[in-house]
Amino acid sequence: MTIRRVLIYAPIFVIVFLLQSYFWVPTYEEQSRGNPDRLNEYIAASIGDAQILNPVLSSDSASSQIESMVFEGLLDRDENLSFRGRLAQSWEIFEEAFFYVNDSSIIPGVGVADADQIIRFLKKEQHSKIYKDSSLNASLNNIKDISFIPSDEFVVTKHAESPVKDQKYKEIKIQVSAPARLKLTLARVDQDLFQNLAKILGDDFFNSFQAEKYINTFQPLEEEQFSQYAKEILPSTEQNPVLIFHLRPNVRFHDGHLLDAYDVKFTYDAIINPKNLSPRISDYEPIKTIEVNDPMTVRIVYKRLYSPAVGTWAIGILPEHLLNRQSLRQEAIDAGRDPNNFSMRESSFNRHPIGCGPYKFREWKPDQYISLDCFDDYWEGSPNYKQYIYRIIPDLLTQEMEFYAGTVDSYGVQPHQVKRLKNDPAYQSFSGLSFGYTYIGYNMRRAPFNDVRVRMALGMAIDVEKIIKYVLYGEGERITGPFAKQTDYYNHSIKPISYDPEGALMLLKEAGWERNAKGWLEKDGKRLQFTLITNSGNDLRKSILAITQEAWKQIGIDVRTDLLEWAVFIQERVDKADFDALILGWSMGIEPDLYQIWHSSQDNPYQLNFVGYNNPIADDLIVKIRKEYDHNKQVGFCHRLHDIIAKDQPYTFLYVPKWTAVLDKKIVIKETDLKGTIVYKKIKPTKTGSYTFHFNKWIKLPEAPDFDPEG
Amino acid sequence: MLSFIGRSVIQKIVTLFFVSIVSFLIIHMAPGKPSQVDPLNPKFTPEMVERFRKEFHLDKPLYTQYFYFYHDLFTGKTVSWKDNQPVLAKIFERFLNSLPLFIVGTILTWTLSFPVGIRSALHRGGLYDRSATFFSYLFISIPGFFFAYILIIFVVNSFHVPVIGMETFGLESLSWQRMFMDRIWHLLIPSILGATGGIAVLSRYVRSQMLEVEGQDYVRTAKAKGLTAEQVHYKHALRNALLPFVTMFGLILPGLIGGSVIIESIFSWPGMGRMAYEAILARDYPIILTVNFISAVLVLGGTFVSDLLYMVVDPRIRL
Amino acid sequence: MENNKSNIDMELETPVVGQVKSRKRELLRLLKENKLAFIGLIIFVIFFITALLGLLLTSGKEPVFDPSMVRLQEKLLPPLASPHLESLRPHEVPKTGVYVFGTDDLGRDVFARMLQGAWVSLTVGFVAVGIAVLVGLFMGGIAGYFGQKYIGLDHIIVVLLFSTGATLSLTGKSFTGFIVIVIDLAFVFSLALIRWKSRKSRYFKWLDLLRKKTLSIDTLIMRVVDIMLCFPSFFLILTVVALLPASIYNIMIVIGLTSWMGTTRFVRAEFLSLREQDFVTAARALGVNDYRIIFRHMIPNAIAPVLVSATIGIATAILTEAGLSFLGFGVPPPNATWGNILSDGKRFIFDAPWLTFIPGFAILLVVLSFNLFGEGLRDIMNPKLRERH
Repeated sequence: MTIRRVLIYAPIFVIVFLLQSYFWVPTYEEQSRGNPDRLNEYIAASIGDAQILNPVLSSDSASSQIESMVFEGLLDRDENLSFRGRLAQSWEIFEEAFFYVNDSSIIPGVGVADADQIIRFLKKEQHSKIYKDSSLNASLNNIKDISFIPSDEFVVTKHAESPVKDQKYKEIKIQVSAPARLKLTLARVDQDLFQNLAKILGDDFFNSFQAEKYINTFQPLEEEQFSQYAKEILPSTEQNPVLIFHLRPNVRFHDGHLLDAYDVKFTYDAIINPKNLSPRISDYEPIKTIEVNDPMTVRIVYKRLYSPAVGTWAIGILPEHLLNRQSLRQEAIDAGRDPNNFSMRESSFNRHPIGCGPYKFREWKPDQYISLDCFDDYWEGSPNYKQYIYRIIPDLLTQEMEFYAGTVDSYGVQPHQVKRLKNDPAYQSFSGLSFGYTYIGYNMRRAPFNDVRVRMALGMAIDVEKIIKYVLYGEGERITGPFAKQTDYYNHSIKPISYDPEGALMLLKEAGWERNAKGWLEKDGKRLQFTLITNSGNDLRKSILAITQEAWKQIGIDVRTDLLEWAVFIQERVDKADFDALILGWSMGIEPDLYQIWHSSQDNPYQLNFVGYNNPIADDLIVKIRKEYDHNKQVGFCHRLHDIIAKDQPYTFLYVPKWTAVLDKKIVIKETDLKGTIVYKKIKPTKTGSYTFHFNKWIKLPEAPDFDPEG
Repeated sequence: MLSFIGRSVIQKIVTLFFVSIVSFLIIHMAPGKPSQVDPLNPKFTPEMVERFRKEFHLDKPLYTQYFYFYHDLFTGKTVSWKDNQPVLAKIFERFLNSLPLFIVGTILTWTLSFPVGIRSALHRGGLYDRSATFFSYLFISIPGFFFAYILIIFVVNSFHVPVIGMETFGLESLSWQRMFMDRIWHLLIPSILGATGGIAVLSRYVRSQMLEVEGQDYVRTAKAKGLTAEQVHYKHALRNALLPFVTMFGLILPGLIGGSVIIESIFSWPGMGRMAYEAILARDYPIILTVNFISAVLVLGGTFVSDLLYMVVDPRIRL
Repeated sequence: MENNKSNIDMELETPVVGQVKSRKRELLRLLKENKLAFIGLIIFVIFFITALLGLLLTSGKEPVFDPSMVRLQEKLLPPLASPHLESLRPHEVPKTGVYVFGTDDLGRDVFARMLQGAWVSLTVGFVAVGIAVLVGLFMGGIAGYFGQKYIGLDHIIVVLLFSTGATLSLTGKSFTGFIVIVIDLAFVFSLALIRWKSRKSRYFKWLDLLRKKTLSIDTLIMRVVDIMLCFPSFFLILTVVALLPASIYNIMIVIGLTSWMGTTRFVRAEFLSLREQDFVTAARALGVNDYRIIFRHMIPNAIAPVLVSATIGIATAILTEAGLSFLGFGVPPPNATWGNILSDGKRFIFDAPWLTFIPGFAILLVVLSFNLFGEGLRDIMNPKLRERH
């Protein structure tokens, strides 16, 4: 009977057809061994896909990983974390400082002076041998040149916010007759310059400068508004750091176009253009002007002292010729879009980027992989791997299986897996301190966290060593403050809080919390009770949540816990500072700029000082660090700040995790020495803990080589 | 007939309208707002977050946003907030990836369920029936990801072949037959996982339909006439039992845009489910709403088609 | 379950006692005959007892088995491993003497967690399905019984005004919202007044426009069901769970509120056919009021199959919770469910396979038993199929 036969044979046929496909599939061995090209490919696995491959626009880690391969910045950090030139061959930093001649102030020993007299006075002081304090001496010696800017008259237009809602801004014209001004060119940036000069020019010389005298408005204005404008237009003193980059000649983009200073300027313009909504805009906001001196030289002048500025130039340089206004216009027209509403964000460049990094972009299959080819004309020589492939495998377990099978060279290995793989002769494993730390933050606006003893006691009740040993399998270190532990800024003399539940109880008793009959801590009849929250999807934080809850329960604190989805966690709880205590981590850069996280001005909703830390001494240090260009002085400030924060315990600083990585032993560093012979070296992480630092020299060999014991 | 079609179309459009409102409200009332900037990155200032809000019209009242969104959707101009890619193109790309899974899954479900179900009905209460019941329930009782991991570990450890992804990674140089078969192989396990539930449910349904029909008078008559058992079962009974299944073809339609987040993440399959899931996490409203809208259209279209089929197949129904 | 039914029957038809017994016995006999369903029932009962025990043994400040006791030095011990007594304080030693199911990555006793999880998983399943059944009965009952009633324009206006008012006052504009609600109340009041007066008057003829029939209750409810069915259910659950704060209650509510549509349709169909049955007509002729008819006569007749599908619904809810846990949206700690033990354990599948396999097989077993039992019941209760054998 046909129906019956169809019913029986159809599924059998389907199943047989599906199963026979097994015989066509290459096994893992065939794949990793049989194919010699595989040795020239490096495949990295990642959980998430990139979003937008444009260094100016992206803000996710997957994108920046790819961008670091495709694009190249002017400089980056070397093995010791000091700056190293990339696209810039060299650079210089100096300062131009300005001040207006204050004709109403009396200079000690000179009297009221005009510009010429002040110049002569300063020059004389520079050469005089009379004893002065050392910092003044240093400031004076630092002055290379003093020049005179004659007085000037001009008109400024300001846009005031109109009091009536929904109306356009009100325009205010201001007539300015600026007095004479002096320009000091300094060899180095000096944040104490004016403070020191005031010692010889008179304490009031800079403070008592009255800008209001020199401006006139055409419309009547409120007094407060008026003096504010006056200060903006004629600031008594101004310090402009200047940064000059000399670019490396003959560097090419992947399409063969030569890199020049206009590309650097264009990158800046792209960031600052409000239409592009660049997430990096705040880094570049302090820039006053950027000029192209010649095709190989850029001169950048900053509005104010801002020492993290140098590091911002590690950003990948965009090719101007592909993204300038005409090109975007052309692209919009070709795509049938409105050219006036077409911004760089919509450009197809972001999905097919061209930079001048060691790898050039080949293909992006969303949620599958991104593949890059090595760039033969890379200025530092083409990398050894011919291809770099970034595979997206969202499941960690699947990543692990693909790694064993040899179809992935590196993956997000977890500490417990490292422990298992460490002794496997086929693999080499690395670990090193990462830039970031995990902490418990307390909302210091709320009781009982406004009491430092309570915060300290809470920290003492947690056995962090044990967490590191058992939860992280030793892949972590204790941390005591907000600086990256491998940098000089970290103050190693501060001891971490030791685990001491008894001591914690004593401290709490001092603060008024005592155990009641049931064992709960009480003060004025109220239980010590609060909620500890963290985000879902992070297994480590979830474990710490459970451990901390249990540890605090042991000393009689009634802790509730909550796991929230990331966006809800951030936007509803953190941004609105609506929490008691939370577990979170910061990943940080190398720059010691703590302004956003620790300065007391940043504790409003949606700002990052969500714990509400407020300490005037710390505030002062934070601002000083930001303005200091001298590394050693910065380190001094940082150590003091670290000490203060550690004493205040706004966070319980838990640990800095180590990154972990496992690689096949066959992957080595291949170098050609001066004589032209090829040398293989074992991969070693740098002192500061980056094992991919020499990635461009990596290669996979058919057999794992034997190295001498010392490597 | 025509009036039925007309009425039904209008009804579906009204339903669709309400669906669009409800989904829009759910998304917008819920906590957590979309943003391309990470609010915990020190480099992002609140002003920038505000600018993004403006860019996405999030500062406008809800009904304006609703209008903007569906206006853009129907003119095909919606772009994802995550990466500024056109939403429809993105969905279409994912749809093409999910399609083979859907096709193989459906074929497996429909070819396997019938013989299994019919046989259990004919041998009701027997060993075959009971083991079929047992196994079909066994497969839908395993938590999907647990089953997937067990299968993957089993296949990889005992056959040493890759099963992850849409195709074996890094095969460019092979002949097209091998490429094709390779893809079929990668389809196999995820589609089996996807089909188990369907097979269990459908084969149960086939069984009960068959049982019901077998009890009818005309089947008894056929038996009494002295027809062979085969003819009775496969000609008289099966045909009538099949009637309701014709209408189920319409109900397959929504599966086109569905996709299991869990299976897709485990097998790193770049399909619809994962895209939608990631869109939820990133609060990428355009993607969530568009996927929702299309799936609502498919559901409604599916029921419409199945109503029509029912009318065509079953002469007793004339609405 | 079968107990339930016979009690209901007793009330319904007040039959002779012997008949009840025979019916009960008949059901039991059929169940025993259907071995799979019977095994399902037994596992079901065991699970139930375990869950109750779990609740008793793992709650309180000092429970017998503490599921949240962290002993980091004892992490990832295999099942039946004995604890290292020297490193533990006396109260940290498990009461069973050994770790029956081993320990997890924080050294918590998996046995205690499984016990606690049994109760939590069961609650999640029962409450979620309970919500779905209640909503389904309510909506389906209304649609089936009162379906032919029509909604007037005035009703719509009242509801619209009220909901606008409520939304406004909830979104911060409380004053405007208050005004709108007051207007709404005034409208209701004046309508009632006018209706009362207008019996004789001709002035208010235009008011009939307000009473114009727009759509029937049945249509309304069925359209709502259609709308709900338009959302892919797992996707909807995921959206809502991702957007709401994770708590065990939200998860139960969300799973419940997204799975009532089937019950509604079913109950409606049952009610439509029961409405036409003689005993209902008779009750109505006797002047029994609607609610009595619904609760005494119709629901008892429609409920048995609903409960059968609820059994299977519980199984689905447990699986859904496990799926959500996999994505990180399941029941948050400190509550353990089998789903989140399983998904937490999967990271260690190569290091500590018991963390995956124990909860995995436990879920499998329980869900399977629910399914088989439900399926068996359905089979037994289907009279059409029963007659044949």
